[in-house]
Amino acid sequence: MKNYLKLLSTDLFSSLSGDEQLSLALHSEESEFIRFNHSKVRQNTSVNQHELTLQFQSNNKSYKATSMLNLNLDNDRKTLLELIGGIRRDLSLIDENPKVVKMENHGVSEVFKKSQRPSTHDIIKKINAQYSDSDLAGLYCAGPVRQASLNSTGQFHYFENDHFFFDYSIYDGPRAAKGFYSEDVWNDKVFADTAGLLKNTLSLLNKPQIKIKPGSYRTFLAPMAVAEIVQIFNWRAVSRSSFEQGFAPLKKLYTRENLLSPLFSLTENNDLGLNSHFNSQGEISPKNLPVIENGELKNFLINSATAKEYNLVSNNADAGQWNNEAMRSIDVRAGTLNEKDVLTQLGTGLYLTNLHYINWSDPQAARITGMTRFACFWVENGEIAGPIQDLRFDDTLYNLFGRELIDLTNQQSTFISTSTYQKRSLGGMKTPGLLLKNMNFTL
Amino acid sequence: MQVSSHANQEAEIQRQTQMLQTEFNKYKSSADFVAFKYIKEKTRDYSVRNGRTEDLNEFIDQGLMIEVMINGHMGYGATAELSPEGIKKAFNKARSMTETASRFSVHQFDKKIRPSVTGRYESVRKTRLDKLSLVELFDYLKKTSMALKKSDLIIAAVSDAMLIECSQNYFSSEGAEFSQDFDIVVNSMSATASNGSETQTRTLHGGRGNCLQVGAEYFDFEKARTTCEEISSQAIELLTAENCPSTTCDLILAPDQMLLQIHESIGHPLELDRILGDERNFAGWSFVKPADFGTLQYGSPMMNVVFDPEVTGQLASYRFDEVGNRAERKHLIQNGKLVAGLGSLESQARSSISGVANSRSSSWNRAPIDRMANINLEGGNLSLDQMVAQVENGVIMYANRSWSIDDYRRKFQFGCEYAKLIENGKVTKTLKNPNYRGVTVPFWNSLSGLTHPSTVETYGSPYCGKGEPSQIIRVGHSSPYALFKNIEIFGGG
Repeated sequence: MKNYLKLLSTDLFSSLSGDEQLSLALHSEESEFIRFNHSKVRQNTSVNQHELTLQFQSNNKSYKATSMLNLNLDNDRKTLLELIGGIRRDLSLIDENPKVVKMENHGVSEVFKKSQRPSTHDIIKKINAQYSDSDLAGLYCAGPVRQASLNSTGQFHYFENDHFFFDYSIYDGPRAAKGFYSEDVWNDKVFADTAGLLKNTLSLLNKPQIKIKPGSYRTFLAPMAVAEIVQIFNWRAVSRSSFEQGFAPLKKLYTRENLLSPLFSLTENNDLGLNSHFNSQGEISPKNLPVIENGELKNFLINSATAKEYNLVSNNADAGQWNNEAMRSIDVRAGTLNEKDVLTQLGTGLYLTNLHYINWSDPQAARITGMTRFACFWVENGEIAGPIQDLRFDDTLYNLFGRELIDLTNQQSTFISTSTYQKRSLGGMKTPGLLLKNMNFTL
Repeated sequence: MQVSSHANQEAEIQRQTQMLQTEFNKYKSSADFVAFKYIKEKTRDYSVRNGRTEDLNEFIDQGLMIEVMINGHMGYGATAELSPEGIKKAFNKARSMTETASRFSVHQFDKKIRPSVTGRYESVRKTRLDKLSLVELFDYLKKTSMALKKSDLIIAAVSDAMLIECSQNYFSSEGAEFSQDFDIVVNSMSATASNGSETQTRTLHGGRGNCLQVGAEYFDFEKARTTCEEISSQAIELLTAENCPSTTCDLILAPDQMLLQIHESIGHPLELDRILGDERNFAGWSFVKPADFGTLQYGSPMMNVVFDPEVTGQLASYRFDEVGNRAERKHLIQNGKLVAGLGSLESQARSSISGVANSRSSSWNRAPIDRMANINLEGGNLSLDQMVAQVENGVIMYANRSWSIDDYRRKFQFGCEYAKLIENGKVTKTLKNPNYRGVTVPFWNSLSGLTHPSTVETYGSPYCGKGEPSQIIRVGHSSPYALFKNIEIFGGG
C-alpha cells in the first residue's frame, strides 16, 4: 500500500500549478468481522476498503474530497485527477476561507505493528469451544488498519497496525457480564483465564435483584464505567473550536470559578501507541498533552484552523468529527486505591462495572446523564449483596471528578477503540477505577 | 444549475454494473446462494458559519457486497477493489469464512430469505441533486447563515447542507434484479446566542432532524428566510427565559421532539434482532418479549404506529429492502396494542413473529440487519389550540437536544431546545433547558391527545447507530403533536 500511494501521489502532485497545494490522507483496512450470538456465529463479514481523502487548497480556499480507491493505478489516477479538476474549477468561483492554513512538510516517518494470532477460522472454533457452556454475544474483529498522510510539500507519514479485539458479553437470562480481549500475542491460557473470571462474575449475579430507589449513593466506578464517562470530554468539551462557538461545559473550569479534584488529571497520551503518531492533517501530535492537571484546566485541544481563526497556538490536535477537536488517546491518571481494598473502601453503596448511552443533559452546566449496564451491584459493609435493577444517573462533571471524588485505583486498564462505524477507528483510553462519596441517580 | 453530469454518472454506473454482472456469472453457482450488491453514493456536506466557509466536504463511496449462503448460513465479503482480481479475492474469502462459520451458525436459513424480485425505485424529485453546483449551494448557505446572524448576540450562525445521491444495484442467483436511486437532502441550521454567563442554541428541528428525499428544488432562500429569523429570535429569547420547572405535569411534545421519542422508545425496542439478542453486546436488548406481540398494550388506545416505506419524500422510503423484500406499509401498534415487529425475513424465520421489509445496511461494506425505516405515529382529532386548552398546568417542548435511554429501552431521559409554559389552557412564558424522563410503556399509556393528521410533520435522522460492526442508517419519523399526562419534567443547572 505504501508503494502504491507513492506512485499514485507522484502523478497527483505533479498536476498542481501556481499556489495550489494537495494533501492525501489514507484509511485502508482488510478486516474480518465475526459477530456472535448465543456463542455461535450470527454473521461473518470480510471487508477490503481503501479511502483516500484529498484536501485541495488554492487562493485561501480549501475543499476536501474522499474517494474509494480500487487499487487499479490507471483507474484511480484517472478518477482522482478528474476529481481535482472539478474542485479546481468550482473552488475558483466561491469566497475565500479565512481558516485555511498553508500546508507544511511535517516530515517523513513510518510505523508498523502486527499482532500474532491464530487464523480467524481457528478463532471461531476457540471462541465457540471456550463459551459453548455460555450464552455469549459480541464481535471479533481482526486485520490491518493503515493510515497515511502525504502532501505536496514532501510530507509522508505511514502507520499500519494489524491487530485484533474481541468485545463481548455473557448472559444468564437478563443478567450479563462484559468481557474484552486484545493482546499483542493471542494466548490460549490468558483467554481461558479471562473466560473463567467472567463466568465467575456472572455467577455473582445469581442473587435476587435489588431495586434501588433514586437518590445519592456512595459509588465505585470500575475502569470500563469510567471510560464511558470520560468519553464525554471528547464530545466537544475539550474542543477549543466548540468552546469559542458557545458549547462550553468546561467554562467554569477555564475561568477558575470551579475546579475539579486535585486527584483528577486527564492527558492526551499519544505515547500509549494506540493510534497513529500523526493527526488527520499529518501534523505530529505531542507525545503528552495535559488537558486537566490536578483538577485545573491546562489545555484545550486546538487544531491549526482553530488557532488561525482565534489567534491561538495550535497543539496539533486532530480536527475530529465536524471540526471539533478531540483526544485520540486518553489517559486518566491513577490514584492510590488498591484494587483489593475497593469493596472495603466502598463500604455500603453501588459498584458499577459499566455505563451506557451517556449524553449531556445540560452541557452549559457540565451535567450528563446515562444508565448503568451489565454487572452492577449493591454492596453492604464491603460485601456484594446482589445485582441491581438498572439505574439512571444525572450528575455534573464538577461533582464526579471534583467534590465527590475520593480516590482512583492505583491500576489503570487500557481499552483500545472498538468503534467500527463506516471504518475501524484507532486510539483508545487508559483509565483507573474511581470511588465517589456520592453519585446522583434519578430513575 | 451546473452542466449535468448525470449522463456521465449513469453511464459509469451502467458500465460498472455490466462488469459486475459478468463477474457475478462466474461465481453465481459457486455456493448455495450468491448475490452481488453494488452501491455508489456521493455525499456533499457543505457548511457556512457567520457567512464564511466552515467546511466543504465530499465523499464518493462505492463498493461491492457479496452474499454467500453455505449450508443455510449467510456470510458476506465486501470490497472496494472493483476489478476481476479484487472480486475474486473477496468472493474466495467470503466463501471460505462462511464455510467455517456455517458449522457454528446461529440459524440455518433457506433461500426464502432472499426473494427473487425485479423492479426499480427512484426518489420523487423535480430536479436531480447533481444539477446543483457548489456555487449555488454556497450562495444558499451563505444567505441563510447571514439571516440567522440577525444580532450581535448570535455568536455562531451555522447553515449546513448534506446532499446524498445514492444508487443500489442487486442481483442474485435466485434471479433477483433490482435497482434503487435516492436523492436526499439534510439541511440543518443553528443559531447560538450568548450574553454574559448564558448561552443558548436553537436549531432547525433539532440537529439534523430536517431530512427528506427531495431534489434541488428544496433550496429556496425566500422560503428559508422566515425560518432563519424565527430560529435566531428564539435563541435570543432563551437568554432571558426562566428555567423549566422541576415538577410532574402535562406535557405536549412537538413533532420535532416526537421524532426522537418514537425512534428511541418504539423503533428500537421493536427491532426483532434486538429481541433475538443479536445486539445485546452493543446497542442493547429489548424489554419486549416475543410473547408480547398481539398482547402487550404498548400505549393508550389512540396510539397507532405504522412502518411505512411508501411515503413520498420521507427519508427512509424505498420499494425493496436490501435483500429484495417488497416494502409495504404495516401497523406495528394498532389502537395501542403491539401487533408486529421490525424484523426482516431472517428475523421472521428465526422468531416466527410478524415483521416487515427492513433488512438494511449503511453501505456496501456492512451486512444488512434489522433497521427502522419510516416509523410514523398517526394523527388524532384535536387542533393544537384544543390540545393546549385541555392543559391546566403543563409545558410544550420543541426540538430534541439530549437523548439517553437504557439498553432495554425502558428508562429514558430526553431534553429539548425550547419550551413554553401552559397555564389554565393558555400558552404563557418561554422556558429554557426543558427535560423530561419516564419509562416507555407507562409513558405511552399516558398519551391522551393527538392533533389532526393535517398537523403531522415529517422529520428523521441520518445517523441511527447500531450493529457489530457498527452501522448508521437513515430513518424517517412523522408525528402530530402529542399530549401526555403526569410526566416528570425538569430544567437545567
